[in-house]
Amino acid sequence: MDISTDNAAAEIRTWLQENVTGDWEIPDDYPLIESGVLTSLQTVELVMFMEDKFGISVEDEELDEENFESVKSIAGLVASKTA
Amino acid sequence: MSIFPEFTLHDLLRNSVERDPGKIAVVDGNTEYTYEDLDRQSGALCAALIGEGVRKGDRVGVLLEKSWEAIVAMLAASRAGAAYVNVNPLLKVQQVEYIIRDCDIRVAIGDSPKLAELESVKFDAAFYKGDEPEKVPAGTSMDLSEVLRDSGGSGDVVEVSEVDLGTILYTSGSTGMPKGVATSQRNLVSGAQIVSTYLENTPEDRILSALPLNFDAGMSQFTTSLRAGATLVLQRSRLPGDLLKALRRHDITGVTGVPPLWGLLLRGAKTIEEKPLENLRYIANTGGRIPQANLDELKRLLEPSGTKIYLMYGLTEAFRSTYLPPDEVWRSSPERGWCIGKAIPNTEVMVVDKGGCECDPGEVGELIHRGPTVAMGYWGNEEATRKAYRPNPLASPELLGVEKVVYSGDLARRDEEGYFYLTGRADAMIKSQGYRMSPEEVEGLLVGSGIVDEACAFGVPDPEMGQQIVAAVTLKNGDGKEAVRGIRQHCIENGPPYMVPKEILVHEEDLPKTASGKIDRKTISNAYSDR
Repeated sequence: MDISTDNAAAEIRTWLQENVTGDWEIPDDYPLIESGVLTSLQTVELVMFMEDKFGISVEDEELDEENFESVKSIAGLVASKTA
Repeated sequence: MSIFPEFTLHDLLRNSVERDPGKIAVVDGNTEYTYEDLDRQSGALCAALIGEGVRKGDRVGVLLEKSWEAIVAMLAASRAGAAYVNVNPLLKVQQVEYIIRDCDIRVAIGDSPKLAELESVKFDAAFYKGDEPEKVPAGTSMDLSEVLRDSGGSGDVVEVSEVDLGTILYTSGSTGMPKGVATSQRNLVSGAQIVSTYLENTPEDRILSALPLNFDAGMSQFTTSLRAGATLVLQRSRLPGDLLKALRRHDITGVTGVPPLWGLLLRGAKTIEEKPLENLRYIANTGGRIPQANLDELKRLLEPSGTKIYLMYGLTEAFRSTYLPPDEVWRSSPERGWCIGKAIPNTEVMVVDKGGCECDPGEVGELIHRGPTVAMGYWGNEEATRKAYRPNPLASPELLGVEKVVYSGDLARRDEEGYFYLTGRADAMIKSQGYRMSPEEVEGLLVGSGIVDEACAFGVPDPEMGQQIVAAVTLKNGDGKEAVRGIRQHCIENGPPYMVPKEILVHEEDLPKTASGKIDRKTISNAYSDR
């Protein structure tokens, strides 16, 4: 499945709203980890959601601050795995 | 060896500076700071705090993410004779403001965005880290980085003794808001001495600080490292990839974590297997029981390359309490029970029955703790203090009422050999992800949504988290499904992530009550487990 960065970003935003931030819509470049918005356990849950939703697999080494810095970077990771 | 006697937190600093001023004290990201830097910058901030009117016994708020500045702030407050109050960065405005009011914080050091989001409090002075905020809720505000650049430290002009208040550690309270454990300088120093003794910390250690600094067990990596003259590596992200990178990049020798952290680390099992963590001298668990499967996996992965595993138990009210040294870890198993070992050095733990008599081996009672880490009490809460800090029931009659011990609220038994085993809680406290929470605080959050009429929160066992929070609620009106969404959203926006219930169950009828008219938590949680 080929998933565009935009589609992935939309799905991730929805998941974040339902599970982490509530009504607040997070800007795509907002620092999720650095600001403490996303805890490590929530990040693991998000990864499980992504693996399920997009049929990708995320390696442990990829589960880091750089890849999960923002909605934009997470969407980029998804897109790179489905291209 | 220490050169000066150790009475206060900043005595520990003084010794480490004396021993080796050029030694790396703290690593924050790509920057390394020496003990000399720590001495100079905490001296500069101490002088600024005093300049802004901070006096002995005052509380200084630290509203910073884990960072070099947070470490400097704690020592600066200590040197000024003030108590630092580390506020968990995960807390939302409502709880942060509650803490600020509860212990009357007049001067704060914080990240600019954190200070800017405060609405209903005003400080006399605030030191901000980052860009100057548009509005700071303070009489005067100063750029922290400029203050730290000042070389004009005042030296230690304030006389501080071990009986002075050192810090207030906020923990979940049964009134629906956090309560502060008043911790003396002596408690802090004893805790550092005790923990660094049994973990055998030396200046060669490179200790990972992976837990929050507002949490007693998280602060402990800082205080033990400071005492040992070791290097503390600050770690904010607990993502598996980042943990593995930090362990290797900084040649970490010691990690203390809570059960979920090991679950995250074990996601990287394959890479640890391929390239063992040869520098890792020990790992230490606290804040709950590690699932046996994870403990076995940690042993298999880490022990062959020389890593020792410690299991620890502690409570904020007495900092740290018992530990199980590496050779004894086998005593904790599904068959034998949750063994928490024996008392930490210089400490005594006992199991007593309701009448205050010591229980026989095998008999379950409440765990009580005596020793130099027994904290001063709950800040501004005499009733709660009287309940948890009581006269030592086993003291000789001539000294009855002289010494206070902590009643932990944890139920435990002792075996014939003197090892202790936890069996449950005397109250309804929930323990999830290493956080101890009163059900009332979770219920307060639920009712605060305005949608919920009655709420009952309880913990259900979960191998990874310890417990998960489940809530039974009745609604003021409206549709169940839509309401649950609304309640969840409210919790997410107004509470820290660990306090958001995993499951919210809507009851059509009133919640069951006890004879005295209180919500019957036991019946509700039993009905849930029996489903």
